[in-house]
Amino acid sequence: MPSGCMQLNSQRHGLPRRFAPRNDLNQEQAMNPLISVQDLHVSFRMSKTDTVEAVRGVSFDIPANSTVALVGESGSGKSVSAMSIVRLLPENAILGQHSKVLYNGRDLLAAPLEDMRRLRGKDISVVFQEPMSSLNPVFTVGEQIAEVLRIHLKLNSKQALDRTLDLMTEVGIPNPKERLKSYPHELSGGQQQRVMIAMAIACEPKLLIADEPTTALDVTVQRQIMDLLAGLQQRQKMSILFISHDLGLVGEISDEVVVMRNGEVREAGSVQRIFSAPTDAYTQALLACRPRLDSRPRRLAVIDDIVNKRPLCTEQRVAAPITGAALIEVKDLGKDYLLKSGLFKRSVFSAVKHADFSLYKGRTLGVVGESGSGKTTIGMMLTRLTEASAGSIMFEGVDLAQLSAAQMRIYRSRIQIIFQNPYASLNPRFTVGQILIEPMRIHGIGKSEDDRARLALELIEKVGLTRDDFGKYPHEFSGGQRQRIAIARCLTMKPEIIVCDESVSALDVSVQATVLNLLLDLQDEFGLTYVFISHDLAVVKYMADEILVMSQGEVVERGSAEEIYARPQHPYTQQLLGAIPRGLAAAV
Amino acid sequence: MSTDLLQALPRSPGVWAQAWTRLKNDRVGMVSLGVTLFFIVLVLLAQMGLVAKDWQKEVGTPFAPPHIVGKIVDGSQTAVIDAIAGPSVDMSDVDPLAPRYEEWKKRAAEFKATITQKSDTLPLGGDQLGRDVLSKVIKGAQVSITVGLTAALFATLIGTILGALGGYFGGRIGDFLEWVYNVFTAIPYILLVFALAAVLKSGPLAGTLGSGAWTVVIILSLVGWTGIYRLVRSEYMKHRSREYVRAAEAIGASHASRMFTHILPNISHVVLVQLSLHVVGFIKAEVILSFLGLGVPIDMVSWGTMLSEAQTELVQGKWWQLVAATVFMATFVTAFALLTDALRDALDPKLR
Amino acid sequence: MFSYILRRIWQMIPTLLGVILLIFFLFKFFGGDPVEIMAGLKASPERIASLRAQLGLDKSVRQQLWVFVQQIFSFNWGKSWTTNEAISDIFSSRLPATLTIMIPIMLLEVILAIIAGLAVAYVRGSLTDRAIMIITTVALSVSFLVYIIVGQFLFGFVLGWFPVQGWSNSVWKNLITYAPLPVFLAVLVSLAPQTRLYRSFFLDEIGQDYVRTARAKGVSENTILLKHVLRNAMIPILTNVATGLPGVFIGSFLIEVFFSIPGLGREIVTAVNRSDYPVIQAATVYLAALTMVINLITDVLYKFVDPRVTLK
Repeated sequence: MPSGCMQLNSQRHGLPRRFAPRNDLNQEQAMNPLISVQDLHVSFRMSKTDTVEAVRGVSFDIPANSTVALVGESGSGKSVSAMSIVRLLPENAILGQHSKVLYNGRDLLAAPLEDMRRLRGKDISVVFQEPMSSLNPVFTVGEQIAEVLRIHLKLNSKQALDRTLDLMTEVGIPNPKERLKSYPHELSGGQQQRVMIAMAIACEPKLLIADEPTTALDVTVQRQIMDLLAGLQQRQKMSILFISHDLGLVGEISDEVVVMRNGEVREAGSVQRIFSAPTDAYTQALLACRPRLDSRPRRLAVIDDIVNKRPLCTEQRVAAPITGAALIEVKDLGKDYLLKSGLFKRSVFSAVKHADFSLYKGRTLGVVGESGSGKTTIGMMLTRLTEASAGSIMFEGVDLAQLSAAQMRIYRSRIQIIFQNPYASLNPRFTVGQILIEPMRIHGIGKSEDDRARLALELIEKVGLTRDDFGKYPHEFSGGQRQRIAIARCLTMKPEIIVCDESVSALDVSVQATVLNLLLDLQDEFGLTYVFISHDLAVVKYMADEILVMSQGEVVERGSAEEIYARPQHPYTQQLLGAIPRGLAAAV
Repeated sequence: MSTDLLQALPRSPGVWAQAWTRLKNDRVGMVSLGVTLFFIVLVLLAQMGLVAKDWQKEVGTPFAPPHIVGKIVDGSQTAVIDAIAGPSVDMSDVDPLAPRYEEWKKRAAEFKATITQKSDTLPLGGDQLGRDVLSKVIKGAQVSITVGLTAALFATLIGTILGALGGYFGGRIGDFLEWVYNVFTAIPYILLVFALAAVLKSGPLAGTLGSGAWTVVIILSLVGWTGIYRLVRSEYMKHRSREYVRAAEAIGASHASRMFTHILPNISHVVLVQLSLHVVGFIKAEVILSFLGLGVPIDMVSWGTMLSEAQTELVQGKWWQLVAATVFMATFVTAFALLTDALRDALDPKLR
Repeated sequence: MFSYILRRIWQMIPTLLGVILLIFFLFKFFGGDPVEIMAGLKASPERIASLRAQLGLDKSVRQQLWVFVQQIFSFNWGKSWTTNEAISDIFSSRLPATLTIMIPIMLLEVILAIIAGLAVAYVRGSLTDRAIMIITTVALSVSFLVYIIVGQFLFGFVLGWFPVQGWSNSVWKNLITYAPLPVFLAVLVSLAPQTRLYRSFFLDEIGQDYVRTARAKGVSENTILLKHVLRNAMIPILTNVATGLPGVFIGSFLIEVFFSIPGLGREIVTAVNRSDYPVIQAATVYLAALTMVINLITDVLYKFVDPRVTLK
């Protein structure tokens, strides 16, 4: 097992794990698990002739009174496997003939629907990923919690009301009496998720299935919900099946871990063993590919490296020195939105206030913050996709913020942007070739169509795709490949500055590493300057030389990457750092 | 892009090629396509005058039944019209014209009179004047279908251009177009149709547009563009903030390029489905307008005029014109509607 | 709430003005010469001159527009060109007949559509569902006219269950004797498109995440459909009903023509055939204003149906 990059517990940031993992799962508990999934096969009927297999022979056990984590990237089949336990699959799902899910000696997959209905919400309940859309928008929060009490526990209105209030207090919703009559859209994301959890634990279930419950939430809120879930598990002595793509997060509260990829189980075992001595290459890759907080290797490990047992890189990356004057000087940048309120009044919402920073050639500026911090707006203003309300952007003596659209066009080739959503940033109707040639045509790059085509083919290969991809459409590629195409598109214009707006946030961990490596290689080769915007602190620390921390439109702290992480000054920065999932910490 | 270099590279099928492949596997869709094409061919033939040209000729006895029903024998109709003989009473002594009769008889004999042999039964029957229902229903198909198609095309053109401008630019242009839209939709559909019909019927344009169906086409286009405008506008608003359009802006593409090269191909399948839906709606509307006498002029036949005749005929027990018009119209409209559904599924299978 | 209503009324004014301008100029520049229409082609010059003065056509266009606007806001429309009846009398005498027919139609349509839509949504994906979709497609392809012609013939003429045509002065007699056949035919024809539409409303809701949550809580399928889905579907249903409401006042003109019911719809058809401009203009402008008021009321009602709506 390769050394050096593998330990997940960092002594310097060693916050102890909240709740110690269970070491005392005795033989008896192991022999009589609460739920036993055996040889699960699930396919989906896509059309009259196609079926797609999502889960191929998955087996795992969930012991009583413990937390089992089901970990995998998108497409691994983890959600489908979990939903099969309660038979909450889409209508076109087909279960394998020999698949079984045993609970209390019965096979749930063969049980009549009426029995399943009685189990759901009472013995086994579910918390979903998107709380806003998972709650019924036209009923109050109190009604929705009371509904599950009335169905299963047959409480009358008064009893249900009292119990609902108790539940809301237990999950930490402030002012429960008033909140009873609120509608879901009146609550924040974190509070909505607390309501979902209240509904789920109302009848004291034996198993709670949590399907990526914190993925849609901000990092600080994520921390609170994780604490809530862990506390509930201990107090109610129920089991939790926790589904996630984030191994670091999972390491904090689970006792057992099951790792899935492409519909199969790659590895399963206790959390200690998985983190300290993983045997499967994919598990090792998942653990290794995340950028770590305490080191900055020249290259991140990717699955390919692990599978082929290549030695991991330990050489630290050195930031490019500051040479000469700043490439871009931004002073007092601001963006205000006018909102109508009342009959004639208008209120002002400031997305960004008084932002100052400088960009130096060959260096990366990281911008970090949660949703609503204004970090994306800064990127939009730099590329003039959004008009700044105040401030100046000085580039080669010209204030970019003041240029007309026609004047800006000339500068566009020099400042480019890579967006977050790889599925939305490429025109679905253009082939890769057309996507790459269009900017060249606009800026007059290349002497003829043939010349441009040749340049395009070169770039395609440089970003790691093949020449055959020239005539393909975006939907034929994966997320990571599409981001590469987006990067190639930027490179056609030979830009000096590239804004990476959450460019790897929508990608799986293993794919993130490949794209980050590509970005670093390109930076070395072409001397590119990056503005790296993200909510993911570990990734930003890895990529950036200097960091701006933003909260609610203002820059609350700035400094070099090491300084920020070693000695955070501002309370918000400290809070943000404290919320980062650490995985399994210190010797337990 | 035409170098040998590029020719050697594989090309993936685009959206329309893929849709065609999917459509070919849809049996209902292919049958509907076949029926629709059959009607289109019929319409073209009628347009060129190769078929149903003489629909106005009274080739049958009044209310001639269809072949399958057989001849009605009640002595009320005669197959041959006898030549008219001269006056039966000799009034030459008081008749001032008497001396001229001989002369006129000689002159009349020089003209050839065709004596039409009228049939007792016709393929689909005859109407009150003995006109062939089959010819009428084919000619009616030509009129109703071309009116529906043309009106739908115009309405789609107007709605798409205005919707693109309004949705993409927003601001003053968008507000102005929204005002126009609000004005047109504040007036209930039927009333607007009637108002336009009243105006075009008796106004100065009545003369120039007299050549038939154009009034109906104009009325339907001017009333029908609003639905498509709304849809195209919301699609443009949705797409203009999508990242691929922002990316196009970031690389320096012009407004026109973004509107028509980037966004339009992404919504063209939506527009096509809307077009097809409007064709059906407009055919049905034309039929009703012609029924009320506000549609095609009297010298033209459409399924609507056939139905208006059918109303009185039914009470007399003559059902064939009603059945012919209804069956032809229902067949075409059903086929076209099913084709539209199949097209929608083929273009975006996730929408099922 | 009050400021919202005020703001909406303020926003309606440009639209109403637009409608007035559109109708005025449409009839003025594209319509026939009113004098020609009223007096006929062979009128004497004195008659023509006196008519011109009477109709105010000797004034400038701007003055005529102003007179038009005044007439609208004072609800004084002058007289019909053909019957010389005061137009306000025409409207008030014809409206009751229209409403007697249309209100039952609207109520029955919505109730039956909800029931049919729910039933089809319940059996979604099954053979019954597909059969019903095909039947509705074919039913939709037959013109409304055919249904009325055949229906009138069959139920009125042949079977004699209902009178073929007719109307009386008593509301009760109308409802029992004369209204049933037209109402029945109109509701029958609307069944196909409405079922499809409401089915799509319900299916859209069934596919939402909150339904999955309800299932996860152990709520039965029936309760999901009748409580969760139906309540949410009220939002598009309200939109659908509101869109059809202006139609209630115009009436189904075909029904009125076929069954000789003295309603507003038939009046307008007759006016079009006789080029009776004032009747058409008045009807158009007032119904446009009514439509705008209905829209405003609907938007306010949304607040009660959809808690997410904030009226600003």
